[in-house]
Amino acid sequence: MEKHISSQFDVELTGVSSRVLELGGLVESQIRHAVYALSQFSLEVADQVIETEAQVNAMEVEIDRELSSIIARRQPTAIDLRLLIAISKTTANLERAGDESEKIARMVKAIVASGAARSLPASELRMASDLASGLLRKALDAFARLDVTAAIGILKEDDLIDAEFDGFVRKLVTYMMEDPRTISASLDLLFIAKAIERIGDHAKNIAEFTIYVVKGADVRHTSLSEIESVVK
Amino acid sequence: MSTPSHFDAGIYRSRKIKGNIGIVLSMVAMVIGLVFLLWILSILMFKGFSALNWGMFTQSTPAPGSEGGGLLNAIVGSLMIVGICTLISTPIGVMAAIYLSEYGDRSKFAAVTRFVNDIMLSAPSIVVGLFIYAIVVVNAKHFSGWAGTLALALIAIPVVVRNTENMLKLVPVSLREAAFALGAPKWKVSTTVVLKAARSGVMTGLLLSLARVSGETAPLLFTALNNQFYSTNMNAPMANLPVVIYQFAMSPYENWVNLAWGGALLITLTVLGLNILARVVFKEKVAV
Amino acid sequence: MNTTTPATEVQNVLEIRNLNFYYGAFQGLKNVNLDIKANTVTAFIGPSGCGKSTLLRTLNRMYDLYPGQRAEGEINFNGENILNPKQDLNLLRSRIGMVFQKPTPFPMSIYDNIAFGVRLYENLSSSDMDDRVEWALQKAAIWNEVKSKLNQSGLSLSGGQQQRLCIARGIAVKPSVLLLDEPTSALDPISTGKVEELVHTLKSEYTVVIVTHNMQQAARVSDFTAYMYLGELIEYGQTEAIFMKPTRQETEDYITGRFG
Repeated sequence: MEKHISSQFDVELTGVSSRVLELGGLVESQIRHAVYALSQFSLEVADQVIETEAQVNAMEVEIDRELSSIIARRQPTAIDLRLLIAISKTTANLERAGDESEKIARMVKAIVASGAARSLPASELRMASDLASGLLRKALDAFARLDVTAAIGILKEDDLIDAEFDGFVRKLVTYMMEDPRTISASLDLLFIAKAIERIGDHAKNIAEFTIYVVKGADVRHTSLSEIESVVK
Repeated sequence: MSTPSHFDAGIYRSRKIKGNIGIVLSMVAMVIGLVFLLWILSILMFKGFSALNWGMFTQSTPAPGSEGGGLLNAIVGSLMIVGICTLISTPIGVMAAIYLSEYGDRSKFAAVTRFVNDIMLSAPSIVVGLFIYAIVVVNAKHFSGWAGTLALALIAIPVVVRNTENMLKLVPVSLREAAFALGAPKWKVSTTVVLKAARSGVMTGLLLSLARVSGETAPLLFTALNNQFYSTNMNAPMANLPVVIYQFAMSPYENWVNLAWGGALLITLTVLGLNILARVVFKEKVAV
Repeated sequence: MNTTTPATEVQNVLEIRNLNFYYGAFQGLKNVNLDIKANTVTAFIGPSGCGKSTLLRTLNRMYDLYPGQRAEGEINFNGENILNPKQDLNLLRSRIGMVFQKPTPFPMSIYDNIAFGVRLYENLSSSDMDDRVEWALQKAAIWNEVKSKLNQSGLSLSGGQQQRLCIARGIAVKPSVLLLDEPTSALDPISTGKVEELVHTLKSEYTVVIVTHNMQQAARVSDFTAYMYLGELIEYGQTEAIFMKPTRQETEDYITGRFG
């Protein structure tokens, strides 16, 4: 893209874009730690995830403040305006993805405390959570490069995560029916699975806003086939 | 195009008719003016051309009754009188105009000066000539080229002042403010910026005042008088074209009448030339 | 009532105290108190007739050219009160320069336009003058466009270029403060953008005060903004604060277009 006549405006836009990618990196690492805590049932790592939360929240507030300032002073239009709106929404999605990781960490702590740790089918969750955190990274990557094709790919992959989730729920139900003593621990696992599924959704939202920035089309709540026709 | 229903066709039609009548009347007026102008020019050309020959530019005015002759002394005399008049009237007129335009907004003195200038502008030229006669010629006890120059200067200065002041006033205030904003003192703003900005208009005015005085006859009648012989002595009566024409035109001698026409043609061509020069050369040649 | 920012380490270049201004019997400015900080861009905004241009023109005593206009109060420029009748006005104006709304190149070559102001107060050799002219035109971001035609008349440039020429002319004398009176009103959007970018780069060496009727321009360009209405200073503060959360309701009404 061409530079603005005002070099200061370019500096401000680049600044806030880097900040949001920085936030993305932080949330990504938060998710990875949460997944590790889950797989190893590590209380230490779980605590780390919970501590990171404060930093994520602070960054969200900071980025939104910067966005308001830019909008007030620069009156952006067209792609600049869409980019700033997308950054705002992406920041919100990232912060919530961070919340989900925190929830996962809290669940892990609860499971460890209840003692039912070893006997649960947590390994499958591992796969789904790797998928989800990978998806978030791809979404941020597509956003940074404003790559519409990659964004559409992400929308498709999220369907996979949703399918995995459904499968896992069925498995857990079977497990709970076999041994009712595991119900409370299983429910904890279910919440964790839901959190992972939501992280995938947040990645999908970010991808939708990538399409919005480039094409100017708001593709939330539309089917995949409609999206593909809009993008052509 | 169809007219809206609320339009009154009568208004529109009568306006059109009035417009057309106006155009026709203006064209008639223009034609009348042109006809007389062309008539004058053609008679001048016709009658004057026969007098145009080398002799006119090399020989002095002939004595009554003698043959041939030319206008050399008159031409040289006019050039000197008018030339020196320009040298006197230009600086005085321009400086007075600068004062009136740049410094004289608030002072009573300036208002009075302007008023007097306007009166002088329309003073009858013979009155001016008489005035110079009374104070210069009578006191010096002889006619002179200097007296003639002074009389012409008194006629030229008000023209220069009025025109230059108008041109200076046309320069926008914003240009002056821009110069002041750099810390320039008033005199510098007036001369290097304002005068420069108005220079084309001022030059045009100077040329036009020059054209005006070249043909003035009445003041020269009893100041410079005339001189039959070639002379460059400003301190004595001096030959000049307008007075020569005056004398020769009414005389019974054929060669004198001829020379009068020739002189008239010369003056006309000079004035025409100066006007063209003013228009062509001093048009502001800038893309705005 | 005026709102001022908390004192910072930045110096005040201009301190306006209890300034009242009269056009004959009509009072154009009412008890204005304001500080202009060094190396900042301060914008005056407000509806027509609010006194922003009047205020600007007191800063270099431009009103002195016109009888019947007078100012009362104090304006301290680096400590000295410039409203003092003994103040040398020409010297003042060489230290506080002004660029006007309508581009006004002098009827001279581009080179002479720039050199005019410099020659008034400095005795430079011809090569030093060449350097100064080049420097000023570079700073005004117009050097590349005119370097091959320095001897052509200033009037041969386009409107946007003429205005940048006027800015170069103002910078060439190296004033401390540059006053800009609606400098882009007469320009197209691209030229406006270039001039705004120019103002941004000038900030590091000069203090700039700009009057604009386009408040979005004030938002883009300035560090501090003063909102004026009917001759009074209503609010003064950091631009970001004024445009995000002004303190006074009147300011917010004006900025959001809820005015009148």
